[in-house]
Amino acid sequence: MNCIAFALPFDFQQPVWLWLVLLVPALIVASLRSLAGLDPVRRILAIVARSLLVILIACCLAGIERVRRNDDLTVLFLMDRSYSVQAMQQYQEEYIHDAAETMRSEDRLGLIDFARNAYLQQPPMRGGYFIKPGRLPVMPDTERTDVASAVRLAMAMFPHDTGKRLVLMSDGNDNMGDVLTEARRAQADRIPIDVVPLRYEHRNEVYFERMIAPTHAEPGEQVTLRMVVGTYRRASGTITIYHNDRLVTMSPEQSHVELAPGSNTLLVKLVVDTPGVQTYKAFFQPDDDSMDAIPLNNTAGAFSFVTGSNAALLITADPQYDRPLSDALRSEKVDVVMKAASELGEFDLLQMQNYSTIILANIPAQTFTDQQLQNLATYVKDMGGGLIMLGGHESFGAGGWIGSPVEEIMPVSFEIKHKRVIPRGALVLIMHSCEVDRGNFWAKEMAKKSVDTISSQDYFGMLAYSYSPGGANWEVPLGLNTNKAAVKAKIDRMSNGDMPDFGSTMQMAYDELTVGLGKDAAQKHVILLSDGDAAAPWPKLVDDYVAAKITVSTIGIGWGQHVMEGTLMNIANQTGGKYYPARNPKQLPQIFVKESQVVRRPLIVDEPFQPRVLHASSELLGGIEAGREALPQLGGLVLTSVKPSPNVLTPIVRMTDDGDDPVLAHWQYELGKTVAFTSGYWPVWGDAWTKWPKFAKFWAQIVRWTMRQEAPANFDTRTTNDGKRGRVTVDALDKDARFLNNLQMRTNLIGPDGKPTPLRFNQTGPGHYEAEFDVEKSGDYLAAVQVFDHGKASGTIRTGLTVPFSPEYRDLIPNEALLRQVADITGGRWLDVPAPQADVFSHDLPPSEAKRAAWDWVLAWLLLPAFLLDVSVRRLASWLALSIAVEVVLLVVLLFGMGLRYSPWWGVLGAFALAELVGWTIRFRSIGPLFEWMTGTVTALAHAGDRSAASLEKLKDTRERVRDEFATEKGDRGKRVADETSPIPLAQAKRRFDAGDEQAVRPVGDLRDALGGAKAAEPPAKPSKPARPPADTDAGEDDVTSRLLRAKKRAKKDMDENK
Amino acid sequence: MSRVVCQVARCFARAKTRGSVVLAIASILGCEPPPITDSGVIGVFGGVGLGPGQFSYPRAITAETSGSVFVVDKNGRVQRFSPDGVFESYWRMPETEHGKPVGLKVHPDGRVFVADTHYNRVMIFDRDGKLLGSFGSEGFGDGQFQLPTDVAFDAQGFIYVSEYYANDRITKWSPDLRFVAAFGETEIEGRRLSRPTGLVVDTEQTLWVADACNHRLVRFSLDGKVLNTFGRFGQEPGEMRYPYDISVSPDNTLLVCEYEGNRLQWFSKDGRSLRIWGHAGRAPGELFAPWGASYGPQGRVYVVDSLNSRVQVIRP
Repeated sequence: MNCIAFALPFDFQQPVWLWLVLLVPALIVASLRSLAGLDPVRRILAIVARSLLVILIACCLAGIERVRRNDDLTVLFLMDRSYSVQAMQQYQEEYIHDAAETMRSEDRLGLIDFARNAYLQQPPMRGGYFIKPGRLPVMPDTERTDVASAVRLAMAMFPHDTGKRLVLMSDGNDNMGDVLTEARRAQADRIPIDVVPLRYEHRNEVYFERMIAPTHAEPGEQVTLRMVVGTYRRASGTITIYHNDRLVTMSPEQSHVELAPGSNTLLVKLVVDTPGVQTYKAFFQPDDDSMDAIPLNNTAGAFSFVTGSNAALLITADPQYDRPLSDALRSEKVDVVMKAASELGEFDLLQMQNYSTIILANIPAQTFTDQQLQNLATYVKDMGGGLIMLGGHESFGAGGWIGSPVEEIMPVSFEIKHKRVIPRGALVLIMHSCEVDRGNFWAKEMAKKSVDTISSQDYFGMLAYSYSPGGANWEVPLGLNTNKAAVKAKIDRMSNGDMPDFGSTMQMAYDELTVGLGKDAAQKHVILLSDGDAAAPWPKLVDDYVAAKITVSTIGIGWGQHVMEGTLMNIANQTGGKYYPARNPKQLPQIFVKESQVVRRPLIVDEPFQPRVLHASSELLGGIEAGREALPQLGGLVLTSVKPSPNVLTPIVRMTDDGDDPVLAHWQYELGKTVAFTSGYWPVWGDAWTKWPKFAKFWAQIVRWTMRQEAPANFDTRTTNDGKRGRVTVDALDKDARFLNNLQMRTNLIGPDGKPTPLRFNQTGPGHYEAEFDVEKSGDYLAAVQVFDHGKASGTIRTGLTVPFSPEYRDLIPNEALLRQVADITGGRWLDVPAPQADVFSHDLPPSEAKRAAWDWVLAWLLLPAFLLDVSVRRLASWLALSIAVEVVLLVVLLFGMGLRYSPWWGVLGAFALAELVGWTIRFRSIGPLFEWMTGTVTALAHAGDRSAASLEKLKDTRERVRDEFATEKGDRGKRVADETSPIPLAQAKRRFDAGDEQAVRPVGDLRDALGGAKAAEPPAKPSKPARPPADTDAGEDDVTSRLLRAKKRAKKDMDENK
Repeated sequence: MSRVVCQVARCFARAKTRGSVVLAIASILGCEPPPITDSGVIGVFGGVGLGPGQFSYPRAITAETSGSVFVVDKNGRVQRFSPDGVFESYWRMPETEHGKPVGLKVHPDGRVFVADTHYNRVMIFDRDGKLLGSFGSEGFGDGQFQLPTDVAFDAQGFIYVSEYYANDRITKWSPDLRFVAAFGETEIEGRRLSRPTGLVVDTEQTLWVADACNHRLVRFSLDGKVLNTFGRFGQEPGEMRYPYDISVSPDNTLLVCEYEGNRLQWFSKDGRSLRIWGHAGRAPGELFAPWGASYGPQGRVYVVDSLNSRVQVIRP
């Protein structure tokens, strides 16, 4: 159908159906016969309608499409803004500005810039390039280049009805994605990618290619660090090495190196004498800085796992409080390291690998960042570590752990679900619009954090000045925090307004917390988030808060630069809350978690109780003989609920009338084990326990149970990194050095962002296994590989690698080969010339075609009207009705055919006129004679007066004539007249003044003749009907049967006569 | 006939029906689609956006008696419009990271004084946006500001600046921008000023202050004596909900813009409510958190309808 497509503005998806049009001639022939009885006009209309129906049905079945073609052009520029070409941004912007000078007015220009991600900076627009030089927003994350994502985004941004061209400005050093695949897609869509190569050359450059350390080592072993340093020119400099963040002492001869052009291998030997993770970092400092253009690639890192590490880390809020526990563990030969929370430092996943289990002793959740919380969960789930949480005033639900990733891995839920009387808290947030950048965004994020932090049994509400007609408004009405997702959705929709004063919202919060739904809450707390520029609340309201024991904490959002702190500090001080100057958005989560947990204070039970053993058979109580003697008393605990899982065991509980509260609970969660001990807090709650003779044994058993059960396999493990992909290779041998085949290896790879990614190992040779993974981010990649031999766990391998810097910093020359490949695949041009000569807006592309399915439109606005027309032509007896039907159908087709919304007024008027013309043409055939008769009647009536006057004159003349005749006869035959009373018979006299018999049978209209008026027109001819014999005319009152019988007789007679 | 169709079309237009056949017929017959208006509204301009003539939460307005209208929005742009709402030019405030201005006034000599609220200063521009100078700094002392909100001028050229937060006062400055006096710092009828956000000097050379969070107007003599106050919180005539701006009409009555009341209210100088206009809503003739109103040329009133991101022009 291309021949049609080139000629007409439509096309067909399945043109084979158009053969149905051949039925039209046959249909016309058949219709001429079957519709022979119809009036010729009706017959033609019906045939036209039927033919149209067949044609339109064929079009619909063939999948008719509207085709719009034009030779307008859209050019999208792809600007590389990665680190390797950041010095060339100005050149690229000028290039686009120059190119824009050559575009036609109908052409469109757009810009997408990219590094790791691609961003649309100017959508395809007519008129030019509108971004002034140097005004592009800062590009985040320039450490990577993903050309493929930019091409993908560009292909989605093209208008469908113009020619399309991409102009890629890049150095071709693509270190993410797969640009060639995208290029092939562009080629399939007939989008050429012209390439403007960005050229540079870092000849004076030294960089680390890699650093290799053995994955595993034994304590006291000497390990060899192998460093490969690359350089283009001869260079010299100093190597510095850090082992576990401590500087390695090296002699000047050893540290000072001379580098030859190419790759240089440097070896350094170190002795590892402590178990655990050994980290190595190396730095190169050139003697001459001019020999090194990119300093960011002068570093490398690696790490080894040294076996023998089985320590427990006890994180304490106060070392004095937890000294009894650490001493007890050490007395049982458990290697325990006690650190205050403030001493943890970075505490990333790699550091956690130094410990087999981690004990959190009364540590609140806000001690850790979100990333660290996630790492703790990953440490247990994917790395097989153990975690023990001890109770206290800052622990479990009271410590803001509700909703954290750690709650998921613990055997108890931090929410209370098993109590009849649930201690509730009530938290109200008051949100004020913040003037600083992204202030309102962070306010919302933190509000959502609060929702997650508090229990579903607590009340939560949020007030804002959101411009309801009343000003302050409950954006989230105070209610139980059961549907957290819905509440967070409301927070997202909220619009923060400028609050004139704090009083109005604080008054609403007060009312709801004292006489409203929150009146029965055990703990009532308000968090006011603002930049402080609203007026202070009235003094009486503050007094009311104090009297009702409602605390208000205030958070000043201004990133340390602009917070009107005075009012906020006063409110917090007067009501017993705290004021937090949020100097950094990163601080906000901790603040909100801490403040939100205020309402969880009712979870703390500060009363002594007798713990009871529920499951004496638990392996944690082995040897304690806890069933035979009473456990020592505990002074309190934090309320939690046992998770409804068969894996959870609760050996020790507090028994109450309102259900059992877990004291000790444990389970295995994926690779790791976790224990919850909801009491503790030794000097306050557990003094009796610390004096219990079995205290040390009890805790040593628990800690040992949670420790990572590692059985290192006899495997040689190596990791490598080629910039885009990391690779783990494992050579598995048994103790007799025979290959181990058909092993199953399962693990999650933990990237620098802490997110686990499943790692799949494939056997590629005898005893040789490989797995690959993306290394998109710089940092440490870790995996604890579980090895299964015929379904049976046979060991765990810990491995990983360090990506010290992005491959972006390794790009010393452009990758023109890749760029040329992109241009060749897509048929693009190599634009190695200035923009004015490049002619990127040349109109040498085939015209674009935009196709749109039109069968539904044909069905609705053409096919159905044609069908109605066909029916009405045959069924509507009245010509008037038929003409109206034709008129309406025509009007509908015309108006909607040309699109009422887009048609000009004269188009609408024209459609009306045409439809009326056709309608009246049909109608005139029917009522034309009537019209003529009416015209005649009116004319006649107009002359009726003249005719009356003339008739009167005529009558007068007649009377005079008769009178004269009478007078003559009287004179001649006077006597005879005197004898006769009536000389003329009455009937004769009447007739002389009547119209006469002949005239009397005429229609009333013929009175004009009698009166001597104008001659009336003949009655209109009746519509042609089969002529009837005169005999029929007097059969009007006969019934139908007798008429039929007579007709039959007549027909029979006719037939006989014909014979 | 055409009049009938036009009337019908008008009904459709009021019902905000677009693209109807009636409107098409009306246009064929030459009827102009009637503007959707409410009592007194003679124009609406603006709309949400960052383009020329658009606003992102406009918060202050000032109109010259015979000239342009200036609007500042929360994007930190001061835009100049013709009296008919045609965009003329704009400029950006030099710094906006801490916050954006909430008040501005045109001096009789054409200079534009912008209360740069979150930078605790008043900036002076010419009508094309050229920075001419500034005065004030952050602090509590003489010549210092805590969140200045509005500016007013008297017949002698003295400048009055209102501020809130810790200061909640009015400061008076000489025409050559030197600090003269501060007043309003003591209690007035039992309450200190609380967020004075609007200032105007009337024809009798007295200073009117919109004392927003006390929901009242305070009248000062130009040397700082309190002459009278009126108003209280409420929705009834004579009551106010957060009066944010005040302006003087040509017939010397006071026009008060109520931020939370979503209306304008005219007062006589003795506190009688003369007229109320507007209510909460999105349609023309309705207001959504209006921050300011100003009398302009030909007795027009320009209302900055903040949350609707537009300016409504009314002829009261």
